[in-house]
Amino acid sequence: MPLPSKIIEAPLRLLGEYKVDCVIVGGVAAAVHGSSLLTSDLDVCYARDAANLLRLAEALQSVHARLRNAPEGLPFVLDAETLKRGLNFTFTSDIGDLDLLGEVRGVGHYEAVLINSLTVELFGYKFAVMDIGKLILAKRAAGRPKDLLALPELEAIYEAQRSTQDD
Amino acid sequence: MRARIEEYLLNPPAGSAAARAVEFGIDLTLTIENLRLTPEERIRKLDSFIESVAHLKNSSRLKGPANATAEQDH
Repeated sequence: MPLPSKIIEAPLRLLGEYKVDCVIVGGVAAAVHGSSLLTSDLDVCYARDAANLLRLAEALQSVHARLRNAPEGLPFVLDAETLKRGLNFTFTSDIGDLDLLGEVRGVGHYEAVLINSLTVELFGYKFAVMDIGKLILAKRAAGRPKDLLALPELEAIYEAQRSTQDD
Repeated sequence: MRARIEEYLLNPPAGSAAARAVEFGIDLTLTIENLRLTPEERIRKLDSFIESVAHLKNSSRLKGPANATAEQDH
C-alpha cells in the first residue's frame, strides 16, 4: 500500500479546484490557528444548496471517494442526491480521507459556522476557517477525549489573541 | 501584535488559560513556533508530520519488533 502524501493539502486543493463552498473545521482549523496537535484528516462543514452539492459530488467522484469503514459491497451512489439525503459523511479516496459535516455540534450548519470565520489563502485558493472561539465551542460539545485534549492550547491561543487586542 | 502574543504565551499571567495549558503539559514554545509560520506553512508542516509517522509505522512493520530493537542497539 502506498504511503500517504499531502493528506491535508491534496483534499484542500480538490475542494478549491471544484469551488466547493465549505468551512475548514476540526484539527486542521486548529492547526491553522497555531495548534501543535496532530490530526490525520481534513474536516469541512459544507453548504447544502443544490449547486454546491453538485460541485462537491463531482469533486468526490473525481478521486473515487468511498465511505470509510463501510462493509465491502455496501451499495452507495455518490451523487448530489445522496449528499442531500445524508448530513455527515466520512470518506476515503485516492488522495486521502475527507470528513464532510453538514452540521457541527455546538455551532450549527454551514451558515452559522461561516459567521466570523477567517479567510486564508492555502495552495492558491481562498478558504474559510472556523473562528477559534467557535472551534472551542465545537470541541467542548464533541466531548471526545481527543477534542478535550485540544482545548487547553486552543484556549491559550484564543486568550492571547484577545488580551493583546485589548491593549 | 505577534511579539505581544509570544510574550503572553511565554510568560502567562497566573490563572490565565495559557498558564493552565502549561500546567496541563502543553509546550507553548511549539505553539509560538507555529504562530510564526503562515497558515499554508502550518498545513505543510502538519502534512510532513503525518508522512513521517506513516514512514515510521511502515518501517517498524517491515522490520518487526525483534529486528527493530536489535538495530536500535547499534
